[in-house]
Amino acid sequence: MSNEDREVILSIKHVDVTFETGHKKKLVAVKDANFDIYKGETFALVGESGSGKTTLGRAIMRINPCSAGEIDFEGKRISGKISREEDRNVVRNIQMIFQDPAASLNERATIEYCVSEGLYNFHLYKDEEDRLAKVDRALESVGLLPEHKSRYPHEFSGGQRQRVGIARAMIMDPKFIVADEPISALDVSIRAQVLNLMNKLKAERNLTYLFIAHDLSVVRFIADRIAVIHLGEIVEIAESETLFKYPMHPYTTSLLSAVPMPDPVVEKTRKHIVYDPSVLDQSGEKREMREIRPGHFVFCTSKEFEGYEAKMAQMEQEKG
Amino acid sequence: MDTENLNLFEFAAFDELESEHIAAPRYSYWKSVWRTFFRSKFTVAVSILMVALVLFALIQPLYSGYDPKVAPNINDPDMKFLTPSAKHIFGTDNIGNEVFDAVWAGARNSIIVSFAATGINMVIGVLVGAVWGFSKKMDKWMIEIYNVIANIPFLLLAMILSYVLGAGMCSLIITMTCTSWIVVAYFIRTQVMIIRDREYNLASKCLGTSTWTIITKNILPYLVSVIMTYVAREIPTVISYEVFLSYLGLGLGASNASLGRMISLYTSFMKGYPHLFWIPVSVVAILSISLYIVGQKLADATDPRTHM
Repeated sequence: MSNEDREVILSIKHVDVTFETGHKKKLVAVKDANFDIYKGETFALVGESGSGKTTLGRAIMRINPCSAGEIDFEGKRISGKISREEDRNVVRNIQMIFQDPAASLNERATIEYCVSEGLYNFHLYKDEEDRLAKVDRALESVGLLPEHKSRYPHEFSGGQRQRVGIARAMIMDPKFIVADEPISALDVSIRAQVLNLMNKLKAERNLTYLFIAHDLSVVRFIADRIAVIHLGEIVEIAESETLFKYPMHPYTTSLLSAVPMPDPVVEKTRKHIVYDPSVLDQSGEKREMREIRPGHFVFCTSKEFEGYEAKMAQMEQEKG
Repeated sequence: MDTENLNLFEFAAFDELESEHIAAPRYSYWKSVWRTFFRSKFTVAVSILMVALVLFALIQPLYSGYDPKVAPNINDPDMKFLTPSAKHIFGTDNIGNEVFDAVWAGARNSIIVSFAATGINMVIGVLVGAVWGFSKKMDKWMIEIYNVIANIPFLLLAMILSYVLGAGMCSLIITMTCTSWIVVAYFIRTQVMIIRDREYNLASKCLGTSTWTIITKNILPYLVSVIMTYVAREIPTVISYEVFLSYLGLGLGASNASLGRMISLYTSFMKGYPHLFWIPVSVVAILSISLYIVGQKLADATDPRTHM
C-alpha cells in the first residue's frame, strides 16, 4: 500500500524540543522532527542514548512542551495550549508504556488502583462491580490473574509489572500508544513475551504504536517503518526491511553494523563501522529530508543526495 | 526405573497461568507497620511507658483538682518543704502544695500544648507544602514569604505575642503555630519536589490524573515515614519550648500549672531542697525522651524498607 492512501493518525510537523540548562543556555534535544505515523502501523524511533528519542515521545505525551512546530493527532493540534475537552480526548486516545516497570508503578497502591486509575479519572464505569470486572478483563488480557488485584507492585517480577503497565494503558481503550523502550529494562528471557503481547493487543484492538528503542534487532522484529534519530535530528526514515537492506545515511550504516549476529560465523566476520561525521558534506548547505526512493527519506544536502543516489543504485544492482 | 514405578507418575498439562501465581502471603502496609513496630521489646516497653505517662498526666489533674492559685497550706509551716514520703510522694513546696499534683498538672498542660501545636503545624504544613512543591507559580512567591517569616527570631515573636495576646494556653498555641507551619511546609515542599517528577507520577499524569489526586494517592503515601520522623522530633521540641517560654515568663501565666514555671521558681531552693528542682526536670526529660523514641520507632516502622 502506498503511503498516500493511508490515514495519518499522528503528524509531527517541524517539532523542536528545547530545555533550558541554565541562564540563557539552551539544549535543543530534538531539532525539526517532521514525520507522519499512519493508522495501524508500528513506527519505530531508534537512536543511541541522548539522541532525543524519549524526549520526542514525551513531547507527544505533552510531558515536554514543544518549543517550535506542532503535533497533530487525527488532524487536530495537540501541542501547546488546547481546550480541556480536547485534552481529555487526547489523554484517552494516546497512552504510554514506560521504560522501567519498577519506577512507573505507584509502589504504595494496589494493582487494582494502578490499573483503574484511568477509569477513575474519566469515570469509565457504571458501578463498582463494573469497574472491578473491567480491571479483571484488563489483567486477563495481559495474561495476569484477577487475584493479583489486591497485590502491590513490588510483589511482581519485572515482566509482570510491565504487563500491569500495559493493562493500565489498555483499559483506556486508546488508539495510539507511545512505547518508550518497553522491553529494555526487562530480562532477555521475557522480552519476547512482552513483544508478542504488544503485537497481539495491536491486532485485537487496531492500535498504532510509536515504538522507541535502541535495540535494532527488536525493532526489526516489531516495526513497519523506522526513523533513525541522531543528536536530535532524524537522519533517515524508511520501511523496516528497506532500511536494513539499503541503509543510506552513514549513521544508519554504522548503527546497523553494531547489531550483534546470533550466527557465530557471521559474527566473526562482522565489521563494525564507526560513524564519522566528516564524511558528510561540509559545505554548510542546509540539510533537509529528501526522498531517495518512495517512502525512503534521508536527511542530507543536495551534494550528499547525489552520493546516496549512486550508492543506492550500486546496492540495488548488487542485491538484485 | 522400571515400568511399575513409572505408573506412579502422570502427565500434567502445562498451564501458563499457573506460573503467574504469587505464593507469598498478602501484603498489607499498615499491618506490616504494626508488626515491625512491636517486633522490638524495647519499643514495646517505651511505648507502654509513654502511654502510661501521657494518660496519667491527662487524668490525674482531674482527680487532684490542682490549681496553682490556691494554696490551702500556705499558713501551715509544718506542711512546707516536706521531703518525698509515702503520704507526699514528691514532697511539698515552699507554700505547702503537693509537688506531685503540680507536676502532673504542668505535664498535662505541656502535653496539650505540644499535641495541639504539632497537630496544627503538621496539618497546615503538609497541605500547603504538598501544593507548594507542585506549583512552580506558587513556589516563586512562597519562597519569598518563607525567607521573611523563617528569619523572624522566635523569641522576639513569642515576647510580642505574649504581650499582645496575654498569657494562656490559647495564646501559647498561637505563638507555637503562627510561623512554625511554614517551616513544615518548606520541608514537605522539598520532599515533594524530590519525588514529583518520578516516572510513576508522569504515568499518572499521562492517565489524566489531577494534581490533587497525585498528591493524595502518589506523593503523601510515600511521605508517611518522613512526616512521622518530623512529628517525632516536633512533639518533644514543642514541649521543651513550652517549658522554656514558661521559664522565661512568656508561656503559660500564673493561672495555669506549668513545668517551666515550676522549674524557674524551684531553682532558688536548689541548695536546700534539690528534689524540688530535679523532679519537674526529670518528668520533662522522661516525657520528651519517651515521646521521641516512640515517634522515631514509628517512623522507622512506617518505612516499607524495614518490612522485609
